[in-house]
Amino acid sequence: METLQYTLRKLVTGIPLILGVTLISFTLMVHFGPDKTYDLLGKNPTQEQITEVRHQLGYDKSFVVRYTQYLKELATMNFGYSDSSGEKVSSILIRTMPVSLALILPGFVLGNLFGVILALIAAYHRGHWIDKIIMGVSVMGMSVSFLIVIIAFQVIFSSSQGLDLFPVRGWDVYSFTDYIHYVTVPTLASIFVSLGYNTRFYRAVIVEEMGRDHVRTAKAFGAHPIELLFKSVLKNSLIPIITRIMFSIPLVVISGSLLLESYFGIPGVGKVTYDAILSGDQPILKAVVGLTAIMFVFTLIINDILYKVVDPRISLK
Amino acid sequence: MVNVLLQNLKWLNVLLLAVSASLVGCNAAIDIDKALEGHLKGPAKIYRHSLAGAPSSLDPVNAATVYANNIVVNIYDTLYRYKYLARPYEIVPNLAVAMPEVSDDGLIYTIKIKKGVFYADDPAFPSGKGREVIAEDLIYSIKRHFDVTNRSQGSWLWDGKIVGIKEWKDVGSHYSQTIEGLKALDSHTIQITLLAPYPQLIHTFAQGFSAIVPHEAIDHYGREFSVHPVGSGPFKMLRYESSNYALMIRNIKYRQEPIDLEFEGYDPKLHKQYGIDKISGKSPPLVDALKIDFIKETASRWASFNKANEINFTGVPVEQVDQILSQKRPKIILTPEMDEKYHMSHNIEAGFVHTDFNMRDPLIGYNDDPVRDKRNKLLRCAIRSAFNWQERNDVFYSGIGIIYPGIIPPVVPEFDPQLSNSSTLRNVDEAKRLMLEGGWTSDNVPTLVYGGVASVGTRQMYEQFRGWMKDIGFPEEKVSFDSYASFGDFNKSVKEAKIMIIGMGWGLDYPDAQNTLQLFYGPYGSPGSNNSNYNNLEYNRLYEQTSVMQPSSERTTLYREMNNMVIDECVSMTGISRDRILLWHKNVVSYADIQIVGGFHLKFVDMLDEEDK
Repeated sequence: METLQYTLRKLVTGIPLILGVTLISFTLMVHFGPDKTYDLLGKNPTQEQITEVRHQLGYDKSFVVRYTQYLKELATMNFGYSDSSGEKVSSILIRTMPVSLALILPGFVLGNLFGVILALIAAYHRGHWIDKIIMGVSVMGMSVSFLIVIIAFQVIFSSSQGLDLFPVRGWDVYSFTDYIHYVTVPTLASIFVSLGYNTRFYRAVIVEEMGRDHVRTAKAFGAHPIELLFKSVLKNSLIPIITRIMFSIPLVVISGSLLLESYFGIPGVGKVTYDAILSGDQPILKAVVGLTAIMFVFTLIINDILYKVVDPRISLK
Repeated sequence: MVNVLLQNLKWLNVLLLAVSASLVGCNAAIDIDKALEGHLKGPAKIYRHSLAGAPSSLDPVNAATVYANNIVVNIYDTLYRYKYLARPYEIVPNLAVAMPEVSDDGLIYTIKIKKGVFYADDPAFPSGKGREVIAEDLIYSIKRHFDVTNRSQGSWLWDGKIVGIKEWKDVGSHYSQTIEGLKALDSHTIQITLLAPYPQLIHTFAQGFSAIVPHEAIDHYGREFSVHPVGSGPFKMLRYESSNYALMIRNIKYRQEPIDLEFEGYDPKLHKQYGIDKISGKSPPLVDALKIDFIKETASRWASFNKANEINFTGVPVEQVDQILSQKRPKIILTPEMDEKYHMSHNIEAGFVHTDFNMRDPLIGYNDDPVRDKRNKLLRCAIRSAFNWQERNDVFYSGIGIIYPGIIPPVVPEFDPQLSNSSTLRNVDEAKRLMLEGGWTSDNVPTLVYGGVASVGTRQMYEQFRGWMKDIGFPEEKVSFDSYASFGDFNKSVKEAKIMIIGMGWGLDYPDAQNTLQLFYGPYGSPGSNNSNYNNLEYNRLYEQTSVMQPSSERTTLYREMNNMVIDECVSMTGISRDRILLWHKNVVSYADIQIVGGFHLKFVDMLDEEDK
């Protein structure tokens, strides 16, 4: 009951957040986004044709009217049609979001999982050569551009000059085997880049936890290192870890990964969003921004509930 | 620790299986074999083409890009097309039975279309069976361009040309109402009546814009017709991912028309090396499926092409040109290693790259003060003399582009190879002399503003330009870059005549110099296609005079006269036609063309069977 009440209360208080995010993003879109008028016009347009296209795009309406219309679209989840392709925005998102999710999820999960494991090992051996190696490799992973990593991994694992084990591009997924075939290299690239950030962050959290009294007590009591790390340290470090993971989820689900999708030819929502930004396709942008804001509100709620699950001392009131 | 790890991996495995299961459920079964069941003679032949960009819409009224055109002309029929192999380009009937019958005054065109041509089966039709293509369909397809709700990008082809179109549009574009100049004499004969002779009319019917659509598809799909194309062309869309690829299968109802290689312009000296003779007598399309991948990222496209089982064709990225060629001039030759692996052709761009001065800007263009007006011209000429086309070619176009004077590119028959190239040669002394004659010094020169999209390439071009200007006395701070986040923003500023120096490229719509000469026709000034806003009354008069003339030596002379005017008045720094190197795998039988023939060549592409190799 307490959780339900909390959820409802948070949903209500989330409305101003959604309004704030949408208002700021819509203002940016309207005032700084590309003007699509001339993209949609033919050669030698008349003033009448220019006016007509601007009218169809809604550019001639006041900001308040357009923003109100946007909120209505958000409330009804009907974002109309893409200004570029003419396809229904909801169809585009329904088609591309699962692909992005399937693309990102393994890298996201494994990147965080390995990050936590390496962070535990590094923190346990703090100052030791093991710690130094893990941190050194992490910094290396953080320092190399994602783009370079993608191209290098494509050359190593996929190209005819390299191991030629996986496809360079595509997403012809019919079965689990196909899925593994297409997702492996993007996942490896994604892990390589995210592992450094994750490991360093989680190590910092775990190191702080390891200095606490209860950990020293457990050590003095002669607890086994694994038991110590998982029961006494990791469990008590879960709040910042959950926060980091949870707040990444809306971006993973909605935004996808532009670079992975572009370079591996994967039809996900990241590339669709990027193309919409460049071309000024406002119906798609409005949908992506609005949905991301809504997901953040839900993430906040779930995040707080998870806090209580991992730490019963936390009250939802 | 190991147990914990295993537990986590078990959980991960479950998660991956769940995602995988959802994927299989979410993705419609793309099964070419199933789609062509009963129509395959063996394993499906699949040709994988690639393009450097993606189309925005597949609705013919919006087929404004080469990317859209490549797909549109393969899904839909056009009345005319260009011969597969003949160069210079030759227009020939496609859906039309023959070339049009034209009245003596050049105003009435009568075109018969082939009988027994059917649209591909689609749920848009009653019972899902495509019906016969009729003359009314062409009329309907042209009417759609003048229905404002469609935001046509191709209406300019017929606007002000066909009798009654304006009136039809003015009274609200009601499809039930007729257009006086567009008549179906019978179910397979179209008659078009023009307001004035329009020699390029026939070329307009070889473009994606003129593709013939069935009204049932628009009625059925509404606005989403743009992603559900339904036509009578050689291929049928199976799956379309707008940012990634289009997968098409052979239209099993496509008319049987055996290939006559001689008619298509076959020259054994040129084409035998590509195995083109193997397709003689076969009826297009020659492959069971055509997949076009849209790949902007050059590194990824190159890596994919180099694999045997991914894309079969690529345009060579500029950064790879030096690695794959053993010789650039006088003839382009591949390295032996590349030659062994791939077929190569190179296409001179059907268009050109030019850098215009905005003549509406009084600082550099027309000025109400006659003295300043004259000085501005000298300044423009000085800047042009400092422009180094050879260096631009070497740095940005691999040194293989063709530099030529003026605005009539080499690909059109009206090109004048004898024209003096002095306007394309860098001459710093001459530039300084012109500056002096105009009374321009480093103190009084206006700040040159070079506009462009905020990309590395454009910025590099600007820096190169700034270096050349420095050589003739422009202080560095007096050459600035006006950058735009996207092409849309840049284009908007161009169309509002806000940019002083505009770097642009132009792709020809048809092989007639009229298409580039219109870029400098006064009434087409911004927001029209005349970005330079050049407005010379004599030029305009000649343009109007030639616009109703059929191709002739007289017209060519007038075209060249107009070309000279643009050169003499230093309106633009022109120009270069880029040379694009195209590669395809040895198991593909093709003569690739990304220019005027564009997508039309794809129905002639074949894949070698094992026994053919």
